[in-house]
Amino acid sequence: METLLYLVRRALQALVVILIVTIVVFCLLHALPGGPARGILGPQATAQQIAAFNHEQGLDRSLPVQYLYYLRTLLHGDLGTSYTLNEGVSQLIGQRLPRTLVLTVLSALVGLLLAIPLGMWQAVRRNKPADYVITTLSFVAYSTPVYFLGLILVLVFTQTLHWFPSQAPQGDTLAQVFADPMALVLPVVTGAASMVAVFSRYMRAATLENLSEDYVRTARAGGSRQGAILFRHVFRNSLTPVIAMLGYYVPVLFGGALVVEQLFNYPGMGLLFWSAAQSSDYPVLLGCVLVISVATVVGTLLADVVQRVVDPRVKAGRA
Amino acid sequence: MSAVLQSTTPTAEPVANYRLSLRRFTRNRLAVAGLVVVVLFLLFCFVGPLLYSTDQTHTDLHQVNLGPGGAHWLGTDAVGHDEVGRLMFGGQVSLLVGLAAGVLATVIGTLWGATAGYAGGWADAVMMRVVDAGIAIPALFILLVVSAITTPDTLGLILVLGLVSWLVPSRLVRAETLTLKSRDYVLTLRATGGTHGRAIARHILPNSVSTIVVAATFQVADAILLVAYVSYLGLGVQPPKTDWGGMLSAGLTAAYSGRWWLIVPPGLAIILVVCAFNAIGDGLRDAFDVRGRG
Amino acid sequence: MSGTQSRTEAAAEVEPERVLEVEGLGVTFGTDTGDVPAVCDIALHVRPGETLALVGESGSGKSTVALAALGLLPGNARVSGRVTVGGTQIVGSGEAELARLRGRTASMVFQEPATALDPLTRIGAQIAEVIRNHRPLSRAEAAREAVELLRRVGIPEPERRASAFPFQLSGGQRQRVVIAMAIANSPSLLIADEPTTALDVTVQAEILDLLRQLAADSGTGVLLVTHNMGVVADFADRVAVMLRGEIVETGPVEQVLLRPSHEYTQRLLAVVPRLALSGEDAPAREGAAVVELRDVSVRFGRGPSAVRALDGVTLDVRPGETVGLVGESGSGKSTAARVALGLIPPDAGSVSLFGTDLKRTRGRKRRALLSGVGVVFQDPVASLDARMSVAECVAEPLRMHRRGMSSADRRARVAEVLELVRLPKELAARGPRELSGGQRQRVSLARSLVLEPRLLVADEPTSALDVSVQRTVLEVIAELQRELGFACLFVSHDLAVVQEFAQRVVVMRAGRVEEQGPTMSTLLRPRSDYTRRLIAAVPVPDPVVQRRRRAQERTEATA
Repeated sequence: METLLYLVRRALQALVVILIVTIVVFCLLHALPGGPARGILGPQATAQQIAAFNHEQGLDRSLPVQYLYYLRTLLHGDLGTSYTLNEGVSQLIGQRLPRTLVLTVLSALVGLLLAIPLGMWQAVRRNKPADYVITTLSFVAYSTPVYFLGLILVLVFTQTLHWFPSQAPQGDTLAQVFADPMALVLPVVTGAASMVAVFSRYMRAATLENLSEDYVRTARAGGSRQGAILFRHVFRNSLTPVIAMLGYYVPVLFGGALVVEQLFNYPGMGLLFWSAAQSSDYPVLLGCVLVISVATVVGTLLADVVQRVVDPRVKAGRA
Repeated sequence: MSAVLQSTTPTAEPVANYRLSLRRFTRNRLAVAGLVVVVLFLLFCFVGPLLYSTDQTHTDLHQVNLGPGGAHWLGTDAVGHDEVGRLMFGGQVSLLVGLAAGVLATVIGTLWGATAGYAGGWADAVMMRVVDAGIAIPALFILLVVSAITTPDTLGLILVLGLVSWLVPSRLVRAETLTLKSRDYVLTLRATGGTHGRAIARHILPNSVSTIVVAATFQVADAILLVAYVSYLGLGVQPPKTDWGGMLSAGLTAAYSGRWWLIVPPGLAIILVVCAFNAIGDGLRDAFDVRGRG
Repeated sequence: MSGTQSRTEAAAEVEPERVLEVEGLGVTFGTDTGDVPAVCDIALHVRPGETLALVGESGSGKSTVALAALGLLPGNARVSGRVTVGGTQIVGSGEAELARLRGRTASMVFQEPATALDPLTRIGAQIAEVIRNHRPLSRAEAAREAVELLRRVGIPEPERRASAFPFQLSGGQRQRVVIAMAIANSPSLLIADEPTTALDVTVQAEILDLLRQLAADSGTGVLLVTHNMGVVADFADRVAVMLRGEIVETGPVEQVLLRPSHEYTQRLLAVVPRLALSGEDAPAREGAAVVELRDVSVRFGRGPSAVRALDGVTLDVRPGETVGLVGESGSGKSTAARVALGLIPPDAGSVSLFGTDLKRTRGRKRRALLSGVGVVFQDPVASLDARMSVAECVAEPLRMHRRGMSSADRRARVAEVLELVRLPKELAARGPRELSGGQRQRVSLARSLVLEPRLLVADEPTSALDVSVQRTVLEVIAELQRELGFACLFVSHDLAVVQEFAQRVVVMRAGRVEEQGPTMSTLLRPRSDYTRRLIAAVPVPDPVVQRRRRAQERTEATA
């Protein structure tokens, strides 16, 4: 009962957030000068042509009306039609999103699998050389622009060593994408680098905090060894706050994908967004942002639910 | 009953707080190194041009794509600008925009977060949903949309960057405000007829200063990093002006043909400065003993 | 290795029945500000079946001794001297060796049951872990034994409770679980570090009963660390008194508590608040109520998870009198005080302050009304803004309500009030961080009195302080009340303190007023069962009297 109430409340909150997102993006797109018509029809278009385009697309109506109109089509599951690609936005995103998900999920998995043990190890070796070295490396990984990192990786591993190709898999289906795992290595590593940096820092902080908790002293007083305490108690307690951060990291992952897809020419949603931005393709831009914000909101929701499962205190509202 | 406090009553701390914080900060070697790096870069970019003067406005087609060495220590770019001079010149923009945008983001975030946290109730709920919505839209996507529509000048760039990155500090400051407003001294003030204005101005803001300073440091680091993306996304400052990110994206193709000196120096400059601000932020956070980004 | 063995044998020959032997123990902590010596030259011992109480005020080093006995001190501690537990030398032993001993030969019960257990592990599993650390049992066998242990420490429905998480248990039950972990392998030494300090008095009595019974059953030696003389009288066979890192007096409990020889022990016992067993009610006060709560209800939260914090509470305070508001944690006494201060608006009922309905006053009028109230809260650290000097803290109400006052007049008034609370005026320029807990509470008091209030609300003003400091602060409040004539709403969990300082008392339980009336008749001849139990649970710092009360209680329970 309590769980159900909680889920309903969180779902309502999520809906409000998504509504605000659509308003923000909608206003942003329409408030800026030089509307879409000029972008699509080209600089030679006459005022008449522009007016005709605006009328055809409903762009001459007042903003609130346009917004409501947009919301209504949205409720029918329709994200509109691309101005330039002559295809439904839902179809476009439907083709591209799975590829982007492959990239982001793989990056996240690789990132977490590296970050969690690294962070714990740092906490145990606090203020020893290993801790300093990993901390410095985390800072460097965090501070490197993704496109610069990707470039360096290509220069080293493609141009010099010839280990991996410089292009991501180009296949149309996921099966084709996975058929070329070597081509996935550089994009995934590029996407995972800053994640390793951020989450190893989180894990280090959480582990340090837990190591100083009273229950660790109780376990020691009961004769438990350091290793047992670390893996049986501290690990789980430290992981919970880190999981909670994961939801908020979804937009960062997509932001990374935007650059990585452009850099490695990987035809995912990021690349779609990139070309839509070049041609002021509003429906596509709005559709992509909407999908990403829904993904983020769902991500945070999932992180909350997972946390409730892992940490029984959260359920009781005491944590 | 919290008679627990019996054995946790703190003993009088003889050393003034800021002295203790300073000592803790100076003992953090990474943080001190970060401070040194930042100071060196500021000197390099703003004092350097006085000692090492180069022409960064006119192209010199006799001197294009020279390798490092000779008169040009780090070579020249595709239109003949000296790379060392260009690093200084571009660094001015990167550092100025980064610092200004980071501070702007912190100011917006502080006002928003403090208002939400102190007001509580419905206002807080609505304001924090707006923050959630902001966080759900990746900054890079917004910047790309903006770049498709307009090309801002330096001031516009600062505004845009500030407006996309105030969300994290607003959450931190809100959390801090929530804690502070239930402190006994604030309750005492309210119970004895003090105004909300007094509670905020005399107690809550002054006590949030360390949290805000730490947030600002990380914010500047992020902003400098974001400036580096801006040119890549097509939003950068227009030639002949440039910034480190602009140098990087301009040199991308050159790098494939072996002209590494066009991308490695600006790349390293960005990494070093961003690392330095992160290390300083880390050191300050530990020194002030405030919670925040891991 | 052979050296350790021969030493062990030697120790065994000299004193065969000592489970803990400490000799010349010294501990120094290396900190940011240099080395801080914590204890030095400590010598004590515990025999099987006996309880040695280690008493002292905060900072005396008593907990350091307890932790050193199991080698549990933090990494920045430097230890010298000899600590022998069951024949094994602790000082200088490696972690592996200590792990074999901890939880088997000797184990420990900590102060804070709220944090002593891993929040994410079921309590049965945590007990089983201690069992399997030392005995080669299967998971199922260990789990069965864990259930038996839970039964032994008095957890109802142990089979079901074994799979509960710590947060699902009350504080007292959590402490029982910690005790179950401590006795899982029948240790010969049990170290209890303030085991009941975080608990309510009624729960404290139960936990002390449990520990006493367990120790008697299995002949375990107990080292009991506490600041509470009542607990000492209730439980200990022998007492060691610590002062600033040294033991100043050791002896049998009757001797130390009734005929103390050291001057410090005498002083400490003189200031311990004791429940009086006889006395007269103070005459009732006349006049219109200064503050009055009428039928006040407060709920926290909404929907099914809402908590009824106050339920139909009615109470008042008359001019010049002190009303003691007593109850255990969760009784709503602090909430009631906050309602009286206008910090929490009641969901039902009314609050009137100085004859004016608080709900109907807003803005400037409300602030003017509230300027007649002074407040002192419990936590000496959180009560003062660390960024202000003492003078600024005390002057704040003047800046709020006496806008026209010149800064010279303000300084003079601050100096005057600081003198009233017996603080030297040199402290005015210092920051709160440089002050001790007792000094800070007196600064809070000075701040609350600077506007000459008609009402002082004091929420556990001395609960965070050592008894000797507590006495001074309470005396200052009482003296100023006689001088200035303000009324006082005094919230406390300590019945002895309330009995001494309040003319009337209101007993609260679970958000309701259980009973109220003149202090002496209410506390000496309580009408409600709950108040009677509350009073019976308070241990008095006299072993002879305490033994008699305990026996009486037992006969009443059986009758």
